[in-house]
Amino acid sequence: MSDKFALIIEDEEDLATIFSEALKAAGFETEIIYDGAIAKQRLHEVYPAIVVLDLNLPHVDGNQLLRQIRTDPRLHNTRVLVATADAGMADMLDDEADLILLKPISFVQLRTMAERMGLAIS
Amino acid sequence: MGFISRLVNVPSTDPDDARRRKLLNFLLAIVGGLILLTLIFTFFVDIAGAEEAGLLQSLYLAGAVVLGGIVVLFFINRYGPGWLASLLFVLLFTFAIVFTSEPQLLLGEYMFYLTIPIVMASMLIRPGASYVIASLNTLFLALAAQQTQVVLPLPGVLGFFLLALVSWLTAQTMEHALHDLRDLNTQLEQRVRERTIALASANQELITANKRLEELDKLKSRFLSIVSHELRTPLGAIQGFAEMLQNEVYGALSPKQHNALGRIIANDERLLNLVNDLLDQARIEAGQLSLINATFPLQDLISDMESTMRVLVEAKKLYLRIHVADAVPTTLYGDQKRLQQILVNLVNNALKFTQQGGVDIHFYRPDEAHWAIDVVDTGPGIPKEAQSYIFDPFRQIDSSSTREHKGFGLGLAIVKQLVTLMGGTVTVISELGQGSTFTVILPLIAPQQEK
Repeated sequence: MSDKFALIIEDEEDLATIFSEALKAAGFETEIIYDGAIAKQRLHEVYPAIVVLDLNLPHVDGNQLLRQIRTDPRLHNTRVLVATADAGMADMLDDEADLILLKPISFVQLRTMAERMGLAIS
Repeated sequence: MGFISRLVNVPSTDPDDARRRKLLNFLLAIVGGLILLTLIFTFFVDIAGAEEAGLLQSLYLAGAVVLGGIVVLFFINRYGPGWLASLLFVLLFTFAIVFTSEPQLLLGEYMFYLTIPIVMASMLIRPGASYVIASLNTLFLALAAQQTQVVLPLPGVLGFFLLALVSWLTAQTMEHALHDLRDLNTQLEQRVRERTIALASANQELITANKRLEELDKLKSRFLSIVSHELRTPLGAIQGFAEMLQNEVYGALSPKQHNALGRIIANDERLLNLVNDLLDQARIEAGQLSLINATFPLQDLISDMESTMRVLVEAKKLYLRIHVADAVPTTLYGDQKRLQQILVNLVNNALKFTQQGGVDIHFYRPDEAHWAIDVVDTGPGIPKEAQSYIFDPFRQIDSSSTREHKGFGLGLAIVKQLVTLMGGTVTVISELGQGSTFTVILPLIAPQQEK
């Protein structure tokens, strides 16, 4: 697994594809997870440099996953990009996200952000 | 009181019957009381020995007989037919007068007493009974006249029948009046009952309507959030995929393909903006839009607006000039996103309608308590009559411009409502051919001043 690994947790397939392509364009290797419960499990196994996190997810919501990432010392270098359509929900997160992106998220915007983070990581 | 009332009142389904029985009981009580008083008086006279024993004895006897009769009448009145008790009472009264009087006295001074049972009969038995008693009295008078060998006193007999007539009319009128009164009462009760039922059902309807309104309100909110998500998600996806293609993620594109993608993105953005405007309008109407206030640098507001407008300004070869007065604080307090929306809406409008020249934006302080934005364009201007309604939702200057300039005419309506929500005002000054100036005046709030 490379240093530039990104996990995309988003239940909307189209949006997940766009996020994935934007991160790939920024030089990341990506994996998409559509379900909160699966993501919860997967976060124990991988070391993503970036997690793109939707808040409204089936089974386990984004807020809980953010808490899991923030309390796992293994993942303390992981950057979390919260993607949401609801500014109010982003305000009520229990833990701090590295970046909050308001949907609709532009491909170019996300690619630029990811490139900047990629540079910071490497 | 309860005991007396129970003693006097006789339960009956016929209200007239009940009234007569009650009246009879009163009369029985009065007569009984008088007899008792007489007996007591007689007793004292007896003790004093002032009268002869024979007379006193007959008085005792008569008193006891009358008292016994009263008791019998009381029980008939209570448990038997009321008319019988009344008839017996009236007859008893009449006989008492007739048989205790000398015939001469009956034809003279005592004739007056015979009028009493005539009136009583009308009240106690039935209105017409007065004639029967009057006839009976006439018979007694005739007997007395025969006994004493005198001529029947015709004026007296006439008087009986005249009194019977008056008494009959009086009782009849009273009974009719009472009957009407009872009818009226029944009608009123019926009406009250009907009104009460109508009121209750109207109330029920109101409750139901209110519940429906509440449900509709909830439905509207739900509809809003669904529309918000379901429309914006695919629009966002279209935008993302088009941008991916445009950025040649999936391979190189020809200039024509680039151009087509540019149009897809531009149209998608327009649709997204429209959806956002509709949602904002709906949220404002539902009172669900709340401001998120914070401190922010004025410069952020300006540069965000400039970057949003750059494409349009360059495409139309217009100028966009910013003027900030020294008095305006560099850090402001308010809802930056919504202020951005107000500014972009106004500037976008100004640029849209301007073909030559450009737009000047002035930030300044009209007074100590406020800050203001002027957006001045060199466009065609707005006709006077249109200035009164351009801030109304879904209105544009004329329907043809909707097609030309594309939109629902919600932009200025949202500006107006947002500015109002912020406690400010928005006005327009314009002359045809002289351009337009939109002025937004907002209160200058210090962060700690809120709440």
